[in-house]
Amino acid sequence: MLALLSLIASEGGEAKEVVNPVIPDTPELVWGAIAFFLLLILMYAVCLPPIRQAMRRREDQMRNDAESAERARVEAEQVRRDYDATLAEARAEASRIVDAARQAGEARRAEIIRAAEDDVAAERQAALADLDAARTTALDGLRPQVGSIAVAAAGKVVQRDLDVAANQSVVDEHVRSASRG
Amino acid sequence: MFAELKFPGIEEMVQWPAAFGEGTPFAFNKVALISLIAMAVPVIWFLVAGGSAKKSLVPRGAQNLAETSIEFIEKQVIGQAIGPDGLPYLPLLISMFLFIFVGNLFGIIPTSHFGANARMANPVLLAVLTWFVFIGVGLKHNGLGYLKASLFPPGVPKALYLLVTPIEFISTFLVRPFSLAVRLFANSLAGHILLVTFSVLTATLWSLSPLVVAAPFSFFMLIAFTGFELLVAFLQAYIFTLLTAVYIGGALHPHH
Repeated sequence: MLALLSLIASEGGEAKEVVNPVIPDTPELVWGAIAFFLLLILMYAVCLPPIRQAMRRREDQMRNDAESAERARVEAEQVRRDYDATLAEARAEASRIVDAARQAGEARRAEIIRAAEDDVAAERQAALADLDAARTTALDGLRPQVGSIAVAAAGKVVQRDLDVAANQSVVDEHVRSASRG
Repeated sequence: MFAELKFPGIEEMVQWPAAFGEGTPFAFNKVALISLIAMAVPVIWFLVAGGSAKKSLVPRGAQNLAETSIEFIEKQVIGQAIGPDGLPYLPLLISMFLFIFVGNLFGIIPTSHFGANARMANPVLLAVLTWFVFIGVGLKHNGLGYLKASLFPPGVPKALYLLVTPIEFISTFLVRPFSLAVRLFANSLAGHILLVTFSVLTATLWSLSPLVVAAPFSFFMLIAFTGFELLVAFLQAYIFTLLTAVYIGGALHPHH
């Protein structure tokens, strides 16, 4: 650098018109100042604001888009969680309904069986009562004939005529004891 | 035409005649024209980008490039050197960056081949502006405490202030603008001299029959340095803008 400057200085010294490049030229300084300050003012007031506004708008939009995407993602996650919860609840409800139906069916089946058994028992009881009544009726119907037959048979055995009416009570007593035995 | 190897003098390389206004403070020469173009190109570019930005939020073409430039300054310059409270200085820093970069680009644009910052005027202008800005920012935000914090750094034994204070005064308030201006100017002028050297060398070798075989090497170097100058054009604009941001950041937070 120093060598360059000394070269410049020496060459400047040899020229007819003394040229020292290190000394700024006044007109160049004036035009440079006009150009630079014009550039600075135009940049500050006219050129930069619309571009920076566009950059800010874009940044805002990108930030908003990112926030919207994040919100949508959170909402989608919430919807999925709600869906899962609803599905689980529906499954539990369905299971509960099936269990209740099964229990109701079991209860109904037991009730039907119990009612059938009660009906069968009642009918059996009635049949037995009918049977007893028929037997009693039959015995009551046979008793006079059995008495006269027994008295007649006893008369044949003893070779005498036995009075049926007088011996009827003995025969009845015997029949009763036999039916009990 | 090129009978012998003769490099132009420095006055031929850096002095340009005025198109009008010769002898007045408004003498309009090639450097003045490049300065105006370095102003007009970013303005037109950003106006087109702004018009596009009003219509669509999706950046394309000029708008894309403009937004990339803004984000570069915001993140790589302000974010690194100042912090979030440096955003109000975006117009100054991006104007500075684009003015220097476009001005530098003219050093490699055919038919121009001279960067505006290869003359001392623009670097000095921007360096002095930086000097006023960072001192103004320091005084505005910290009052006279800025000068105290700059000249009497905390944590230094009081006896050492005899040594430290003059050094801090020279480095902060005198050397900064000087180093800013000289760095930009010297790099731009050195690049211009390199390109002139290899251009003249290539043309001369082309006309000298025994040495024409060396011309491709010289031409290759000319192409390589042109690419290198493109890098330097960007790098010098970035360094100047970054250092300006560093100085503003230091003035905003002098105790850090």
